[in-house]
Amino acid sequence: MVDYRFTEEQELFRESIREFCASEIVPKTEKLGEVRCMPEDIIKALAKFELLGMVIDPEYGGLGTDTVTAGIAAEELARADLSCSIPVLFLVGTSWGHVIDKYGNEEIKKEILPKAIKGESIIGIATTESDIGSDLGNMKTKIVKKGDKYVVNGEKMYISGVAEAMEYGGGHVTLARMTPEKGTRGMNMFYLPLKDTPGITPTYVEDIGREAISCGGFDIKNVEIPKHYLLGEENKGFYYIHEGYELARGLISLVCAGAASKALENGIAYIKERKAFGKPIGKYEGIQFKLAEHHVKIQALRQLGYKALWTYDQEIQGKASRFDVSMAIAMAKSVAPFWAIDAIDDVMQWQGAFGYTKECEDQKAWRAVRSFTLAEGSSEIMKLIIARELLGKEFLAYR
Amino acid sequence: MKIIACVKQVPDTTEVKVDPKTHTLVRDGVPSILNPYDHYVVEECVRIKEETGEGSVTVITMGPPQARSALMRCLALGADEAVLISDKAFAGSDTWATAYALAQAIRKIGSFDMVFCGQQAIDGDTAQVGPELAQQLGIPQVTYVEKIEIDDKQKLTIHKQTEDGYHILEAKVPILLALLPPTSFQPEHPPMSSILKAKKKPFNVWDAKTIGGDESRFGLDGSFTQVIKTYTPPSRGECELIEGDGKDAAKKLGEVLLKHEALIKR
Amino acid sequence: MGIEIVLDKCTGCGLCIKVCPFAAIKVKDKKAEIEANCTLCGSCVDVCKLNAIILERPKPSDKDLSEYKDVWIFVELKDQEIKKVGFELASKAREIADTLGENVGAVILGEKAKHLCDDIAAYGVNVVYIAENENLGEYNTNNYAGILTGIILKYKPNIMLFPATHLGRDLAPRVAAALEVGLTADCTGLSIKDGLLLQSRPAFGGNIMADIISPNARPQMATTRPNVMKIQKPDPSRKAEVVSIPVDLDSKATKIVIKEIVKTAKSGAKGLDEADIIISGGRGLESAENFKILEDLAETINGVVGASRAAVDVGWRPRSDQVGQSGKTVSPKLYIACGISGKIQHQVGMKGSDTIIAINTDPEAPIFDIADCGIVGDLFEIIPALNEELKKNLSKD
Repeated sequence: MVDYRFTEEQELFRESIREFCASEIVPKTEKLGEVRCMPEDIIKALAKFELLGMVIDPEYGGLGTDTVTAGIAAEELARADLSCSIPVLFLVGTSWGHVIDKYGNEEIKKEILPKAIKGESIIGIATTESDIGSDLGNMKTKIVKKGDKYVVNGEKMYISGVAEAMEYGGGHVTLARMTPEKGTRGMNMFYLPLKDTPGITPTYVEDIGREAISCGGFDIKNVEIPKHYLLGEENKGFYYIHEGYELARGLISLVCAGAASKALENGIAYIKERKAFGKPIGKYEGIQFKLAEHHVKIQALRQLGYKALWTYDQEIQGKASRFDVSMAIAMAKSVAPFWAIDAIDDVMQWQGAFGYTKECEDQKAWRAVRSFTLAEGSSEIMKLIIARELLGKEFLAYR
Repeated sequence: MKIIACVKQVPDTTEVKVDPKTHTLVRDGVPSILNPYDHYVVEECVRIKEETGEGSVTVITMGPPQARSALMRCLALGADEAVLISDKAFAGSDTWATAYALAQAIRKIGSFDMVFCGQQAIDGDTAQVGPELAQQLGIPQVTYVEKIEIDDKQKLTIHKQTEDGYHILEAKVPILLALLPPTSFQPEHPPMSSILKAKKKPFNVWDAKTIGGDESRFGLDGSFTQVIKTYTPPSRGECELIEGDGKDAAKKLGEVLLKHEALIKR
Repeated sequence: MGIEIVLDKCTGCGLCIKVCPFAAIKVKDKKAEIEANCTLCGSCVDVCKLNAIILERPKPSDKDLSEYKDVWIFVELKDQEIKKVGFELASKAREIADTLGENVGAVILGEKAKHLCDDIAAYGVNVVYIAENENLGEYNTNNYAGILTGIILKYKPNIMLFPATHLGRDLAPRVAAALEVGLTADCTGLSIKDGLLLQSRPAFGGNIMADIISPNARPQMATTRPNVMKIQKPDPSRKAEVVSIPVDLDSKATKIVIKEIVKTAKSGAKGLDEADIIISGGRGLESAENFKILEDLAETINGVVGASRAAVDVGWRPRSDQVGQSGKTVSPKLYIACGISGKIQHQVGMKGSDTIIAINTDPEAPIFDIADCGIVGDLFEIIPALNEELKKNLSKD
């Protein structure tokens, strides 16, 4: 029926990346609580280990691996960095790099991808605006053709990687309305660089977790971009963009699983040692019941996540449909942040007052994982997707 | 240069702990890794092959089927071919029997210029297999090798560590070298692209019959030493902790040390 | 012969798996299965409550080994003098030989060796076999191994001990392989049990001890590290017989040539090996410069500064200062460990010290498990204060 094993390369890769994280990532995570922009040495370390171009075509310097292998990297990075700042940098770059690889023309691919893979620039995603999240078809940002350029006006907000793009170079895969009267059928997906781009004014926001990857936005005032920055065809952006979201959501599911797994391991070590009323608290049934429940959910989440990415890979090979992918991905992401945060929450609870202090490692994961109920698509939307698949398009809400 | 590197998969002994209550080894969750000395060896072999321009690096190990992952690691580090000799007949091998089996396998691999091994493995720490293998192959050996250079006439210049410095030696192939990694050595984790390449390289698994030789010299039968007992080392007793703040404690410690006055003053 | 699971008795309870130091047991289909990396140590046999594991050791061979007699040592020279470890080996060999009622032999290879016979005889050596030749002044594997193998084949010692020095660890296995005999490295304990040499050594990075025998081949060979065996008091009145071994070396056949000898350790300074007092620093010192605190204390109390692997790996101290499993083994009278966590690999290198004192801010640091006395505190406060205290007291006299 099913072979649940990873391939030998994937197992070797997991071993290798785990060691890489232990020696190159974990020691660097201490400073992550104090910065609001990913430090360059971390980006370079990820590049050196060939993590930044995993799924991208080797022609541009990538590895061309499958997304399941990228999922392994996401899980391991989350285990190593409980603040999830580094996993977010990884998953955003991977997902949107893939989209540029798939929909970009030769010129833009050669211009953007090799640099990003070497860690010399950033790739991000910018669709959200101050007043627009799920309802993309009504966004403010507009794009018009002007000769052989496009001109963009509007704003984006609650975007990851703005500070990084301003600092290191690179840009964001962006969505804007080309033909407003057509709603979602009149949107363009394009690449928008931030650094040294006239008309871009960045702003920054302090979010409550994943501190080391910046959160912010930018004003877009008459920003001109060359023709070749258009990704795919005009007016079809809304359809393309979902492929990027889906890969990101699949990776997010494994980031949640990785962070929760590590937190649960921390919890297990704690409850074996900490004594109350003469016994280690791990001996009490109440604690054991919780431990068992969370373990089951996290392992189930891992299965949902890897199956979702496997389905994504199957679609690339023509063996699964768009809808198979949407369903599998939505299922994993609909539960990932909740199951993960439940586990992490209990791990903090076991640690009592200490769990409520900044000294406790696990609270970083608690704050980070909370973001995944909304990042790259809210949990509510995930449920609507699942329901749509089960009920049929005629039952789509909000139509 | 045809190079053969002997490697070993070992438990990560820096992670092994002893259960304080039962006084037994706690092996749970202790990963099996490529012996760190051997990791350095493979990197050096690959470097030498690349510098001399041609040749090959074959890695070989005697171990259970799981040792495959250590060999895959070596292939990912740049070795060209792997040989795993594995058989229940090898169970209970001491260093002599191990060297015998490796020598048989190396003869089956064919001609070679150099055999490399790590100075020691972190589980046994005997440093014996290298010299015993060299003796059995009938080739000279240099141990505690810190540095190797090869000129285009296959002349080797070797830095051999001594207790108070090092010797610079000149030697020719064939030869066995046991390498010491520099103190700054950190094993580099091969990235995914190397792992993908590793999968495509030749990987041979040979049992006792395939490597030939005298069966009675393998495993326990062929071993001259036997482990008859293992136990945890005896404890030294309780530690007396000196209380008090920094200066106070220092004063009390001073009094303890002054009991050894004769020793201190000499 | 070997090890076998009695399948009818085995219930797959897994107790054996927990104690196997080599992870050589797995449970398949509710029965234990022994894997190829089993070393037949027998830990599982002891723990199986159902007697479901049978271990049969190879029977002692029929060979008559009685003609192998006497306990021999290989004496290593440095600058034409006997290294201290030689006297340690001689002391141990004398003790073993007394148990067996046999003699002690010593083999010395070098440019000139006759003048050393009395020195080694004072430690109880009965016969000294010397091979003198100008080509033996510096160690060469082929030359030394060839000569030593010949001597052993001719004189048939029962037991042969080597120092676990760089030279010993190069020479002993070469000779053992040539003679096809058993060799046990880095023994911390040597005694006679049931007529055989019982060789005890640490394994698994020092986490466990193993007892080893070499029942069927002679000589039974073992190496021991410097500073492990205790030196007995020499008796200058003891004399030894001297046997000169003819040496026939073809210098052209020497395939490995020494081009240059480079000494990097400070000469004249007392080494860690000889020191009576060692003050060691680890990661807790935080920088190379901070080791000055330890050097100052060492100056006051006539000690030598050592280091843990952590301090050497980051380049704060040279490798020659490293104490531990991959460094030196020391057994001073006093060992003060400062800012050293005391992992097993370090402990193995200094456990033999008479008195161990530990200073560390972490009360859970394993160093406290083997220390005789210690302070949970800040070494940056304690060491300078201690130094002042001692300087005051020592200058009073």
